[in-house]
Amino acid sequence: MIRTVGGRLLGSLAAIFGASVVSFLFLRILPGNPARLILGPLASQQAIQQQVRLMGLDRPIYVQYLRYISSFFSGDWGFSYSNGRPVREVIATRLPASIELGLYAFAFAFVAAVVLALLSTYRHRPVVDGTVRAISFFGLGTPPFWFGLLLLLAFSQALHLLPGPEGRLGPAVAPPPTVTGLYTVDAVIAGQWGTLGNALQHLVLPAVTLGLAPFAYLVRLLRVNLLEVSREQFITVVRSKGVGRWTAYVRHALPNAFLPTLTAGGMVLAQLLAGSVLVETVFNWPGVGALVVDSILRQDYAVVQTFILLSAFAYVALNLIVDVLYGVIDPRVRTPTGAR
Amino acid sequence: MADVAIPAPGTARRATARTALRLVHDDPQLLFASVLLALLAALAALGPVLWPQNPLALNIGEALRAPSPAHPMGTDNVGRDVFARFCAGARISLSVGAIVTAAGAAFGSLIGLGAGTLGGWLDAVLMRVMDAILAFPPLALAMAVTVGLGVGLKTATLGIVLTSLPYFARLLRSEVIKIRTLPFVEAATAIGAHPSWIMWRHILPHTLSTLLIQSAAVFGYAILTLAGLGFVGLGAQVPTPEWGVMITNGLQYALTGQWWIGVFPGLGVLAVVTATSIIADRLRDALDPRGRYAHL
Amino acid sequence: MDEVLLSVRGLRTEFVTRDGVFAAVRDVSFELRRGEKLGIVGESGSGKSALALSIVGLIEPPGRVVAGEVELNGRRISGLPDRQLQLVRGKEVGLIFQDPMAALDPVKSIGDQIVEGIRRHRRHLGRREARRLAIELLREVQVPFAERRLADYPHQYSGGMRQRVMIAIALANEPDLIIADEPTTALDVTTQAQVLDLLDRLVSERRTAIILITHNLGIVAEFCDSVHVMYAGRFVERTTVEQLFRAQAHPYTEALLRSVPRPDRLQRGPLPSIPGFPPSLAHLPPGCSFAPRCPAAQEICRDRAPATVELVSESTPVLAECHFARERLRT
Repeated sequence: MIRTVGGRLLGSLAAIFGASVVSFLFLRILPGNPARLILGPLASQQAIQQQVRLMGLDRPIYVQYLRYISSFFSGDWGFSYSNGRPVREVIATRLPASIELGLYAFAFAFVAAVVLALLSTYRHRPVVDGTVRAISFFGLGTPPFWFGLLLLLAFSQALHLLPGPEGRLGPAVAPPPTVTGLYTVDAVIAGQWGTLGNALQHLVLPAVTLGLAPFAYLVRLLRVNLLEVSREQFITVVRSKGVGRWTAYVRHALPNAFLPTLTAGGMVLAQLLAGSVLVETVFNWPGVGALVVDSILRQDYAVVQTFILLSAFAYVALNLIVDVLYGVIDPRVRTPTGAR
Repeated sequence: MADVAIPAPGTARRATARTALRLVHDDPQLLFASVLLALLAALAALGPVLWPQNPLALNIGEALRAPSPAHPMGTDNVGRDVFARFCAGARISLSVGAIVTAAGAAFGSLIGLGAGTLGGWLDAVLMRVMDAILAFPPLALAMAVTVGLGVGLKTATLGIVLTSLPYFARLLRSEVIKIRTLPFVEAATAIGAHPSWIMWRHILPHTLSTLLIQSAAVFGYAILTLAGLGFVGLGAQVPTPEWGVMITNGLQYALTGQWWIGVFPGLGVLAVVTATSIIADRLRDALDPRGRYAHL
Repeated sequence: MDEVLLSVRGLRTEFVTRDGVFAAVRDVSFELRRGEKLGIVGESGSGKSALALSIVGLIEPPGRVVAGEVELNGRRISGLPDRQLQLVRGKEVGLIFQDPMAALDPVKSIGDQIVEGIRRHRRHLGRREARRLAIELLREVQVPFAERRLADYPHQYSGGMRQRVMIAIALANEPDLIIADEPTTALDVTTQAQVLDLLDRLVSERRTAIILITHNLGIVAEFCDSVHVMYAGRFVERTTVEQLFRAQAHPYTEALLRSVPRPDRLQRGPLPSIPGFPPSLAHLPPGCSFAPRCPAAQEICRDRAPATVELVSESTPVLAECHFARERLRT
């Protein structure tokens, strides 16, 4: 057990090293002038030369790499000229909004995927199964930003059921006092139920939009796994004990089908990270994703570079966590194999 | 392992064509997907002939017109015909999809074949590089490439190719390693056949079906990612009639009532990607019931 | 003679597939008495397992029981809604399945899986009492260190031990009937003998009736009182074990017996096998379903399906579905 975790950790370190080299290569070595890239189009020649020295661009490549990586780990992510503040501060102020949206999107994707996968595979109903498969094809094939646009057109503009792209709260609603930075949680802590309702209303469309791709991905995986598990003999054995069909399905087929799905956790995070960049702008959601898009438009690449490297780290870290978690949850990995 | 029946290479081609026809005939969903894709390909190829309007021509007087016989998909904020732009967008998306798939499959397979057949330190190095690429969420790496090499359609395409490489490389490598131990390949090695000849004559034909499935999946992924890059401003740049860019433009007008500017290009992306993923799905069911390829 | 425990009349189970509808069980009838040990023999694909599942209503789509009646303890259980059948399964009927490797949920502990069956039918039992019962059951089926092994998972058990767990699950609520579908096929010979001994002891202690489904005539000879031979979804011969080994009313039974390896015949050249394959259940021949493979088939065999012939041979009743059953037994 400890040895496997050690091996995984080593593998993850190698992946992070590889990712940092790749991003160093693309973001530092290949561009014409990284200093200009970092400082933006309006910087003076003098400022650029100063930046070249500051970044050590006149030094050998391996020194540059070491500086690059050590400054990243010491939290020095550069300066965002378009915001006039260090990148770390800018990202920190935007992070809670993205985390809140990501959590709700994940919750939606997860719950919807489990429910629909169960329904589509339970008792061979071709119509239900066909519908679920069609939805998952739609979810995987839709550009999320476009889907958000459709939802806005339908639920906000045509039906007036949900608010338009106003961000996290309506214009007349003040944010709750900050504790966690997640408005729904802070509103509960402060007991501001009106604010909570407003925040939830504003979360529905963005969360569904962001959750669509991971939902479609999960439902596909779960569906295939469930079909496979439900054909296993142990389900019949459970039924032979007198257990009801649905109970047997939920209590025995689902956990077995779910375990291999866990390994898709990294993929889901990747979808949420990429999705936040694509979706937040549509809803004027003041998160990191929208910040990245703004920064691209203003050619403020310090922010973009940080986001890219951070998301690689998060991705590798989550894959590691999932691997370890899998070992903890699956008894076949957790406990010694073979007869005693 | 030894009891896997594998037809001799060469006899399979005619049977494959017939199987493909029967599959399409038996499966309405597959038929729908194929027809849809063919239709979009036709629009992409023949668009300028069928609908001779300039996708770039401004006409402020005709701005923001709703769909009508004169403009089947309406006009955008500067009076460009959305249908003409839609067709031009189909051309861009399908070409980029094809380029990414071809380049990704070619280079990725080469890497995988090389790593699998030659082994040793080359295998180790190539696979570590692939791991490094896989350490990024795909869109993030494509973003890194475009930011580093300069924003635009070409660098975006390059970035997407790069992210697709590991999927092909890993697939081919595992296939090669599996096939290398089959009796007839071992026999060929024993006779003294050169590794590259074995690769070409025996291994490639057997991996063709898995390669095909993976290619179909990558094609859809490439188009979706290209639209995403275009949407955030890292792909094709503004006047280019690329679907993602068009959606960005349409976003501002959608909520003031001009929904057609953004909705149609999105439908295009949806149609292409859904059609290819249905085709990929059926290909897998038909050619590879055990499911060895990675989902994107 | 003991009272009738199970009575099956005209049971028919069909499967809908892409190639058409086929009947895995075709109008099967039989009776089973308390304490009786019945063997059902046939090749794989003859419908034995489908019959077992049909009796307790566990046929899943695309399969369906389309006709017939099943009575257990004088009460009709066929056609009952699943909710009521659930009260029968695991309580009055226990099932043991073929493959001990696939028959247990890999992510639930052995204890949980036994307790699940106990508490399903004895809801008043607390968790601790149910666990105590589970330990007792494991002891009864001779799993060593039962108390400690309760928390283990299936992959930590050997094949033979898992089969014991399966038996414990089937016995959990002291059923009147046990249906064992190839309970020893996946086990090595020594373990096979142990498991059969165990079943034999349990059955005689509790007067439980058992249906043992197998393709192994040796096991039938050793274990059962009576035997039904199944071919293409039907019973082609029904009699006692003694009579079956004395004389075979159906040519299929004879062929089956002849293909069993026996030490005293080893000198006489290769083992005879039954020519051809069992017929596809979707495309049964119009006459006797065994006719295409039967060495003694006549014209009538190919044209007309044989009716059940009731015979008595050396004061033992024999039921056979063969046009020539009478002649065959006389010779």
